[in-house]
Amino acid sequence: MLSQKIIREALVRALSTGADYAEVFAEHTRQKTINLVSAKVDKIADAVISGVGIRIFKGTRCVVGSASSLDDAAVLDCASRVADALQGVPEHGDVLLRERIFGDIHPVRIVPAGVENACKIDYVREACLAAKEYSQEISQVTGWFLEVDHKILIATSEGLLATDRQIRTRVNVSAIASDGSENQTGSTAPGARKGLELFEDFDPKELGRKAARQAVTMLHAGYINAGVMPVAIENGFGGVIFHEACGHSLEASGVALGQSQFCGKLGQQIANPKVTAIDDGTIPGGWGSMNIDDEGTPAQRKVLIDKGILKTYMVDKLNGRRMGMESTGSSRRQGYQFAPTSRMTNTYIDAGEDRDEDIIASIEYGLYAKDMGGGSVNPVTGQFNFSVREGYVIRNGKICEPVRGASLVGKGSDVIMNIDMVGKNVARAQGMCGASSGSIPTDVGQPLIRVSSITVGGR
Amino acid sequence: MTYQEFKEVVIGISAELQIADYELYYTESDSASVETFQQEIKEYSTDSSMGVCYRCIKDGKAGYASTENLTAEEAASLVARALENAKSIESEEEAFIHEKGDSYGVLPENTCKEPTGGEMKEAALVLQKEMYAADSRVADGTQSFVAYGRSTYALCNSKGLDLEDKASYTLCGGLALVHDGEEMYDGSEDKDGNLEDFDLKEIAGKAVEDAISTIGADSVPSGKYNVVFMGRAFAQLLSTYDSVFSAEAVQKGMSLLKDKEGEKIAADIVTVIDDPMHEKSLVKRTFDGEGVATYEKNVIENGVLKTLLHNLSTAAKAGVKSTGNGQKASYASTVGVGPFTFYLKPVEGTEEDILSAAGNGICIKDVSGLHAGANPVTGDFSLLAAGFRIENGKKTSPVKSITVSGNFFTMLKEIDRIGTDMKFIRSRGGKCGSPSVLVRDMNIAGQ
Repeated sequence: MLSQKIIREALVRALSTGADYAEVFAEHTRQKTINLVSAKVDKIADAVISGVGIRIFKGTRCVVGSASSLDDAAVLDCASRVADALQGVPEHGDVLLRERIFGDIHPVRIVPAGVENACKIDYVREACLAAKEYSQEISQVTGWFLEVDHKILIATSEGLLATDRQIRTRVNVSAIASDGSENQTGSTAPGARKGLELFEDFDPKELGRKAARQAVTMLHAGYINAGVMPVAIENGFGGVIFHEACGHSLEASGVALGQSQFCGKLGQQIANPKVTAIDDGTIPGGWGSMNIDDEGTPAQRKVLIDKGILKTYMVDKLNGRRMGMESTGSSRRQGYQFAPTSRMTNTYIDAGEDRDEDIIASIEYGLYAKDMGGGSVNPVTGQFNFSVREGYVIRNGKICEPVRGASLVGKGSDVIMNIDMVGKNVARAQGMCGASSGSIPTDVGQPLIRVSSITVGGR
Repeated sequence: MTYQEFKEVVIGISAELQIADYELYYTESDSASVETFQQEIKEYSTDSSMGVCYRCIKDGKAGYASTENLTAEEAASLVARALENAKSIESEEEAFIHEKGDSYGVLPENTCKEPTGGEMKEAALVLQKEMYAADSRVADGTQSFVAYGRSTYALCNSKGLDLEDKASYTLCGGLALVHDGEEMYDGSEDKDGNLEDFDLKEIAGKAVEDAISTIGADSVPSGKYNVVFMGRAFAQLLSTYDSVFSAEAVQKGMSLLKDKEGEKIAADIVTVIDDPMHEKSLVKRTFDGEGVATYEKNVIENGVLKTLLHNLSTAAKAGVKSTGNGQKASYASTVGVGPFTFYLKPVEGTEEDILSAAGNGICIKDVSGLHAGANPVTGDFSLLAAGFRIENGKKTSPVKSITVSGNFFTMLKEIDRIGTDMKFIRSRGGKCGSPSVLVRDMNIAGQ
């Protein structure tokens, strides 16, 4: 992407006003989205994103700059702009770059860009048609295919020069069930850090039927009575509860500034002893996986919470300076236009010892959340929310009729104490997580869990 | 190469390949921002970005490709990719390259002065200091920011259209954290306009007051309550549901407003306006994503759905004219449909009058989780909310950890009062605005 000569010149220029650290991040990304409506290709967006982001640190102060160009002149100009923000004299001489080659733990068999549109379209179409055929009540089906080929280069004044190529593929099917006056929706969207071999992991018809089944089920569902009750949350996307209620508050971006409910709690019990939570960027082919993070630190597997005890935060280099901690390979950015910060990768609650049937049987009256939508959190107050896409009432320990329109809200530090039963069967699911460093792919996950008491919003 | 050079190369390649109908959409922006932490500048950022999208029509279908890499080699690839993509399109929707002949509005003279980096840092530090000075409970984690942005939007096409809009703005705001010894609370306030016009002490005071007003917030028993949505909260809802007014969503079976034009869909007092050149908008637009002239329109007038929003394709299908709402979320996006500055027209009464009309109930100042908890296809929403109790017509103690739920389409019909205290939030197309709104008997979940 950039010659070593230009990278070195840019680093030296960035350091010229007294910074103690400089970093060049260059990116060349190709991203294509194919949208289908009523099983026909409706729109295709096909983008090339390329540019450079340069950062310098002086202590805990940071200057960042970016430019939508990989031209030598534009890169050097960006380095000058960044340096202009400080007024000191250089502490560094020349920068000696040593290229490092990290292994690729996410091999890609079929590079999507090398395959014609028709093959991708056929797969999504098959899923859409299966959804439509599922029931007369399915009024509309939409679907999309996404491929991302994200090439990055990271060079720092410490001499690191590293590159990575991150290929991701994802498919979505969304179904609408309608009775003429009311609509309900269902959807599914698996993805992976893989090429088109993703298609071999899922039968497209099964994806379509799953979305349709959810929409039809919800069309015939009533509303849950709002209130505080026990909730059983299913594995897979159910893990969004940990992501929102706790995960964001363990990111150094908030912790280093005092903007987290879990500041100063290392070594302390912050969750129920049944809860062990892990952030693992090294899962082969995982949607949120990587070889190196966006500062060039190798991806890691970290136990965040061990039997309820807080073991570590997720730390990037800059916030690590504030906290006196090493990077945990957690620095991520959507692209060159975003300054990186600590983020999650594949984050999940680890398997426990409770049997699924015991968890359901333990609830006299409550909610079984089979599938979740997204959510959000205010890390300062810990107030979080997320929506239940497919829910059922539990009565006398049995899963009963479906209910729609439920959302779960609460305070993160309370809720993770209330996770008092944890099943054995962990599953992960894919999402896009938005924060200050942009929208990035992350996995959430967990086994079936019980939250002994939480506020359920409904009617 | 520069955009002008790149454009000439693309035009040359299009001619060679005998592509008769095409368009180039270009955006360019420069921005700078400062953020503080404690009494120091934490981060200073300068960004310069641009990108170009090529759209061509092949056998009646539109193909898109975009790039940020302006080289001759990339120009050839851009056209080839767009052509290839056009061949894959199966939708029967007709695509158009817009002809000349519209009468375009004129942007008001831009009065936003570009602040220097030094001025921005100074203002951010003063604002930060004022927040700490406003109350002894203000804690570290409190942050101020100042940002400046300048953008250009340009569209040219094979029919001879050549348009450009420019915008620039300064933003300034604070996130205040207060610690009462046990818990942390946050509040915020921001302003846009000219840096020299900002009253930093006032912004600081409002951010801190916003945080302090939530101290001791608790939940309420679940039940039905009269709800006053403050302007900001109702604007958040309106902005989330703006897609239901898109003719594209209607034609594709994703909005319940199918066949509702000319019908009553809301209470008599409800008028909703889309105004691309609204004075509050930071990015006023004279043309949309297809080069069609924009204009102000009532989408709902006295409760009646007057028009859906259209781009050229949806208008052709419906047999009407485009409303100039062909929207591109970014230069690289395909053309969809969406509003610019979309707002609920003020009716009567101050915030106090609306609270007084509610009698007893809940006043909601903020809703969260809109991307998941509010579904435009069904209209259903169930959202985390924060605000205050209303007792005897007055705001009293703070409330948190509650959800408010309902259905957008039902709620439009049940709006009881609309005030005049307009509040605007930034949205995809510009801004979204609303005064305080009273809806009776809404479902609140709490304890």
